[in-house]
Amino acid sequence: MINIKNLHKAFGRHEVLCGIDEEIKQGEKVVIIGPSGSGKSTFLRCLNLLEIPTSGEIWFENVNITDKKTDINVLRQKMGMVFQHFNLFPHLSVLNNITLAPVKLGLQTPEEAKENAIRLLKRIGLEDKANAYPLQLSGGQKQRIAIIRSLAMNPKVMLFDEPTSALDPEMVGEVLEVMKELAKEGMTMVVVTHEMNFAREVGTRVLFMDEGKIVEQNSPTEFFSNPQNPRLRDFLGKVL
Amino acid sequence: MVMFMAFWAELQNNIYTNIFYSGRFFLYMKGLLITLNIAFFSAVLGVLIGMLIAIVKVYSVQNKGLKPLNFICDIYLTFVRGTPMAVQLLIMYFVFFAFAPATFQIPIAIIAFGFNSGAYVAEIIRAGIQSIDRGQMEAGRSLGLTKNMTMRFIILPQAVKNILPALFNEFITLVKETAIVSLIAVPDLTMAASLVRSRTFNAYVPLFFIAIIYLIIVVGLTALQKRLERRLAVNDQH
Repeated sequence: MINIKNLHKAFGRHEVLCGIDEEIKQGEKVVIIGPSGSGKSTFLRCLNLLEIPTSGEIWFENVNITDKKTDINVLRQKMGMVFQHFNLFPHLSVLNNITLAPVKLGLQTPEEAKENAIRLLKRIGLEDKANAYPLQLSGGQKQRIAIIRSLAMNPKVMLFDEPTSALDPEMVGEVLEVMKELAKEGMTMVVVTHEMNFAREVGTRVLFMDEGKIVEQNSPTEFFSNPQNPRLRDFLGKVL
Repeated sequence: MVMFMAFWAELQNNIYTNIFYSGRFFLYMKGLLITLNIAFFSAVLGVLIGMLIAIVKVYSVQNKGLKPLNFICDIYLTFVRGTPMAVQLLIMYFVFFAFAPATFQIPIAIIAFGFNSGAYVAEIIRAGIQSIDRGQMEAGRSLGLTKNMTMRFIILPQAVKNILPALFNEFITLVKETAIVSLIAVPDLTMAASLVRSRTFNAYVPLFFIAIIYLIIVVGLTALQKRLERRLAVNDQH
């Protein structure tokens, strides 16, 4: 579904990604872990071109999205993204946060979009917040709404950039719960996170990044019980 | 006591001759109208110019095709901010519009102040847009919205709340700054005081009188601005 070929990204002279080759298949839940500064967020943000790669290619459903002629806006409609800091639109109600993109892009009529939004809100138990504004919500509620805002576009893949890192500890669970449900439904997911339990329970494959490279990858069980790379061992020793 | 009575009588007399005698009150009011007129229309022109420049500035960060235009804007901004308003006004009148008939002073003043204000408005708008967290742009783009759509539906509605009060400030500044248009013989409020002064040989009454008028207008506009700010804060569900 997503093919990454020899991906490089540098900010000025600082190389953040040093040649990444990876394939993400439909239905996979790929969890990326690694120390901060390892390039995992940059890697994720390259997948929908929020960061423009310095070199290399990214293919999404057999379209080269790094080709300048590709309309990235159309492809982004199929790639949902959830951010660490939620990035809800503070001037819009929860409902309008969810319906804005599908309506303005002409994918759904306002009525359809509203119906769809209410359905999604019911799913996460927040239908009573439809007319609330983001700043009246808790962090966990905001992130759950950010997730369904992406889902309202009916994406084929969801990218999560440390979705629980900015949350108070007691709110992490409710967000992970929504993500687990999404995983169960078969959504293709790429998740950058520090939640090792999530990686273990939900991931179908775990990648360890360090200094701009994917150093090791494996199924979660093998990954955590039998780490090979000394840096991964060191990292797991510190976080587990 | 007697001295005070004499002073009081003289003051009353001075106020009468310097403000009301022989239609002088209308001279002031006509001047005030011209002052407000110039302030208003140069603010409108300033906003138009400021918006254009802000668009160039914001978009030229990524779009290399706009670099030459951005360079021109930079020259303009440097010139306007780096030279006295009075000099800009004189250049506009005696150089660029040297050919214009003498009756065109007011439009020329409006153009001079509009061009000046545009530089400051550009900065206000640019700062307003850039004060919005870049995560907002990223969230909009990640949903598939184009850069223009994200600007229109997400960034600008939030930026306006920062921009409007600051724009109002710029208008208040303009009302005060236009006092120098008498340099090119525009009969504004300040000029009215000068005219009266040259007839009556009294300085303090006409000058304090127009100072009070300016003050009333500025205080009134400031109060209006505070209300506007409060209204915006209410709509804003933060």
